[in-house]
Amino acid sequence: MAGIVCRTASRIISSQVSCSSSVVAVRHSHWFTSMLSLKTSSPLRAEPKKKKKVDPRREIMMKERLKKKLKRLEKVAPELIPIEDFITPAKCLDETRIRDAPKHSFEESERRALLLKEWSRYKYSQHQTEMDTINEALEAQRQALDELKLESEELYKAAVSPDTDIFPFQHEGPSYTPPVTNYEAPEGKYNDITRVYTQ
Amino acid sequence: MAAPFTRVYRPLWRIITTTTLNKGVRNVSSTRQQWSAQNVKTAGVASPWALHGAVCLQRLPVVSQDRSPIEDEFMELMHQMELERSLLSDHELRLLEDAARMSRKQEEESDEEEEDYRDKDIFTAQDLEDIWEQKLKQYQPAQRSQGVDEKGVSSSERCLAESLILLVKKDVGSQKLWLLPQIQWQTGETLRQTAERALASLPGADLKATFLGNAPCGFYKYKYPKDIQKEGSVGAKVFFFKALLSGHKHLPLEKNSFAWVKKDELQDFLKPEYLKQVRRFIMAL
Repeated sequence: MAGIVCRTASRIISSQVSCSSSVVAVRHSHWFTSMLSLKTSSPLRAEPKKKKKVDPRREIMMKERLKKKLKRLEKVAPELIPIEDFITPAKCLDETRIRDAPKHSFEESERRALLLKEWSRYKYSQHQTEMDTINEALEAQRQALDELKLESEELYKAAVSPDTDIFPFQHEGPSYTPPVTNYEAPEGKYNDITRVYTQ
Repeated sequence: MAAPFTRVYRPLWRIITTTTLNKGVRNVSSTRQQWSAQNVKTAGVASPWALHGAVCLQRLPVVSQDRSPIEDEFMELMHQMELERSLLSDHELRLLEDAARMSRKQEEESDEEEEDYRDKDIFTAQDLEDIWEQKLKQYQPAQRSQGVDEKGVSSSERCLAESLILLVKKDVGSQKLWLLPQIQWQTGETLRQTAERALASLPGADLKATFLGNAPCGFYKYKYPKDIQKEGSVGAKVFFFKALLSGHKHLPLEKNSFAWVKKDELQDFLKPEYLKQVRRFIMAL
């Protein structure tokens, strides 16, 4: 084993020597490598067996130490990501930004109170009409399904089975102005400065 | 208990045909199986009602509705209250500072202020506001109301603030009636497929729609006039399915046979009995 190692070492060394320098050393025996060679052979030959014991032990010890360090790091609870909405920015606590509180006349405050009450009445009636419309539509659907059941069981089952294709459903809601035909939106660049936290 | 319930609701002709199969008192599970078995057996006996599938195609509003007077007032009030309760923004602070600086400059007319000017920006906050105004004016949005000369009932671009329903003029018997598009049901397809076929079979229309579920939203049944009533066909039942128009249609359809109408205009087009049933499921909120 050591001899094989020696031979390969000598081959490498001799190839190095032959390409690099002009001096050609003659070897009389494979045990004696050239004088210019590196001293790789003697430690290889001197204590081959000791390395096998120490190195694995050392490696094992290193691995254990690393594992212990990792465990210690993992035991520490991860730092919580701050919720930016719950932290009042310092700007808002600035005193120079407070507006002067306007004083309203009696009529103004009365008008406001009455308008708020009117609004609540209006919203209530709107809600009632919405609920009535929805209930009417549901009732119509229920009666339609009853009629269909009388007609044929198969069609009823097909009607009552869930529709998987409808979701995800997307629809653009109403905007203030209708979309302009063949409109080319101007290209804009923006720098995204949202803070991304990692644990 | 389900079993006695189903017996009560069975129409008379079914009871007559299936009395031979009834063998007295049964427990619940066997009657249910019997019921489904009866259905399969009596499939050959056609019901006297012809089935039709119809589609209630809705074009949802493209533009928001105008505010009612109370909504306007309330919106104004909300804006005022929000403004009063808010803090000054950066822009407003800058405006105030500029105003203060201008007034000081006019009063004192000293040269010391000029040195500060070199450090600060060339634009005052007021200038910035003017620049933004001008940029906004460069963009011309489309008209909200499209003018009073609405393109006629056959265009789907009319009344952008409200949802429209598609109506079709069809020959029913001897009369020409305005109806929701409907077509007869064929064996082997579900009613939803019938409705989809009804939409696809409209002449000259390439309307893409999303159907909302497998269940019908309403029904209408009518009996044929006595001279047309053959053996075994008393009338027809029409089942309506809701669909939303997806994809903007620009081509106006033929004037005389198609119409896009709002819910309040339906009474000018539909027959009263038909209208009564159709109004129930059309929601114009």
